[in-house]
Amino acid sequence: MERREFIGKGIKRIFYAIGAIILAYPAFSFMKFRKSRKKRIIFHPDEQTSIVNFKKGVFLLRQGSENYALSDRCTHLGCSLNYDPVSQRFSCPCHGSVFDVTGKWLSGPAKKDLYRVPMTKKANGDIIVTITL
Amino acid sequence: MPPIKNTKVSTYLPRLGLSALILCLISGIILTFYYRPMGNVFQNVEEITTLVPYGWFFRQFHYISGQVFVILMLIHTLDHFLKKRYLSYSTGQWFLLILSLCICFFVLFTGFVLKGDKEGFFAGQIFMNILRAIPIAGEWLSKLFIVPGEDFFFLPYLYHCFFLPILLIYLIREHIREWLPDQKALFAGAAGLFLYALIVKPHVDVPPDAAVDMVKGPWFFLGIQTLLKIMHPVLAGLFIPGLFVLCVLILPKTGTAWGRALYYLITTAFCLYGILTFRAIIWGP
Ligand code: HEM
Ligand code: FES
Repeated sequence: MERREFIGKGIKRIFYAIGAIILAYPAFSFMKFRKSRKKRIIFHPDEQTSIVNFKKGVFLLRQGSENYALSDRCTHLGCSLNYDPVSQRFSCPCHGSVFDVTGKWLSGPAKKDLYRVPMTKKANGDIIVTITL
Repeated sequence: MPPIKNTKVSTYLPRLGLSALILCLISGIILTFYYRPMGNVFQNVEEITTLVPYGWFFRQFHYISGQVFVILMLIHTLDHFLKKRYLSYSTGQWFLLILSLCICFFVLFTGFVLKGDKEGFFAGQIFMNILRAIPIAGEWLSKLFIVPGEDFFFLPYLYHCFFLPILLIYLIREHIREWLPDQKALFAGAAGLFLYALIVKPHVDVPPDAAVDMVKGPWFFLGIQTLLKIMHPVLAGLFIPGLFVLCVLILPKTGTAWGRALYYLITTAFCLYGILTFRAIIWGP
C-alpha cells in the first residue's frame, strides 16, 4: 500500500468515527431518558392494624408505638420478598436471601439490609409512603 | 479438511428448526393482536388464555414452536462444533452465526418475561439489576433494555417482537436460503407442533403478587440462577457467560494446539453447565 493511500484511509476512518460519535451521543441520550416518577401508597388506619402490613410493594411494620416502612424488593437483584409470620423473617424466592423483621440482612447473596422508604403520618391517621421508580 | 459426513442430525434437524421458526413468527404475530405490554400484563395474558377464542392454542403453539426452534438451533450448533465444521467457516461467518444463536436465547428469554406472571416479572427484574450492577455504564446501559415502572414490559416487547426477530432473520438469511422451500419439513413441523399445542396443557401462570417459596428462571438460565447464589451478579450473569461465548467465537482463529485445548475447554464448560442445569431442574437452583 502506498504511504499516501494509507494516510488517506486513516483520515477517512477518523472522520467516520467522529461522525458515529456525533450521531450516537444524541441517540443514546434520547433512548435512555426517563422521567423520574414517584409512587404514593396510602395505608389507611384499618390497613395498619397488624404487626406486618403489606400494600403494593411496601411492608408497613409496627414495633411498639413506632412505625416504619420497608421496600419489599430484595437488595440482591430485586425479587419481591415473602414474609413468614412464624419465623418473623423475610425470605427471597429467587436466590434465598433472608432478612429479619427490621429489614436486617441475615443470610444469602443480598448482603445489604432492606431499604427503608420515607413515610409521613397524616392527622386522620393515614400513613403515606413514597417510592421513587 | 476431512470430508464431512452428512448424518440425519445434520440434514433434518435444522430444516425442522427453520419450520419451527416460521410457525413461531406466524403465531407470534397473531398473539400481538391482543397482547398489550402496558397496564396489567398478567391479566392481559390470562385473557388470551381464557377469553380470546383459541387464545390458549396460539399461546401454547407459540411457546412450543419457539422452544423447539431454539433447542434445534442449539443441537445444530453442537453438531457443527463436534464435527469441527467451524474450520470451514471464515471467522466473520462463524461470528455472525454464534451471535445469531445468542440472539435466539435472548428472544426466548424476553418471551419468558413477556408472560407477565411471577416468573416472568422476576426474571425481568433480575436481568435489569444485573445490568445495573455493571460498574460505571450499568445504569444507562440497563435503560436500553428494560426500565422499571409502568413501561417495564415495553422494551422487552419491542426486542422480542421486532428488533431481535428482524435482526436474526437478517443475520441468517444467506445461511438458510438454500433450504427455504422445504415443504416436507414445514408440514411435519406444523403437524407435530399443532398436536402438541392441542394436547398438552400449558402450565398454570402464577400471579405476580402471589407468595411462592421458590421462583425458577427459564430452563437455560437455571445454571446461572444457581451461580447467582454464590457469585457477584456481574460475574455470574455476564462475565462468565460472556467469556464462554468469546471462547466459542475465537475457536476458528486459533492454531492447532491452542484450538484443541480450547475445544476441550469449551466442551468441559458446556458439560459442567449442563450438570448445573439438571441439578437445578431436579433439586431447585
Ligand atoms: C425467534 C422467534 C421467537 C421465539 C423463539 C419466541 C418465543 C417465545 C416464548 C418462549 C414466549 C413465552 C410463551 C409462554 O411461556 O407462554 C413468547 C411469548 C410471546 N411472543 Fe414470542 N417468540 C418469537 C417471536 C415472536 C414474534 C415475531 C412475535 C410478534 C410479532 C412474538 C410475540 C410474542 C408475544 C406477544 C408473547 C407473549 C404472550 C405469551 O406469553 O404467550 N414472538 N415468545
Ligand atoms: S433477588 Fe433475592 S436473593 Fe437474589
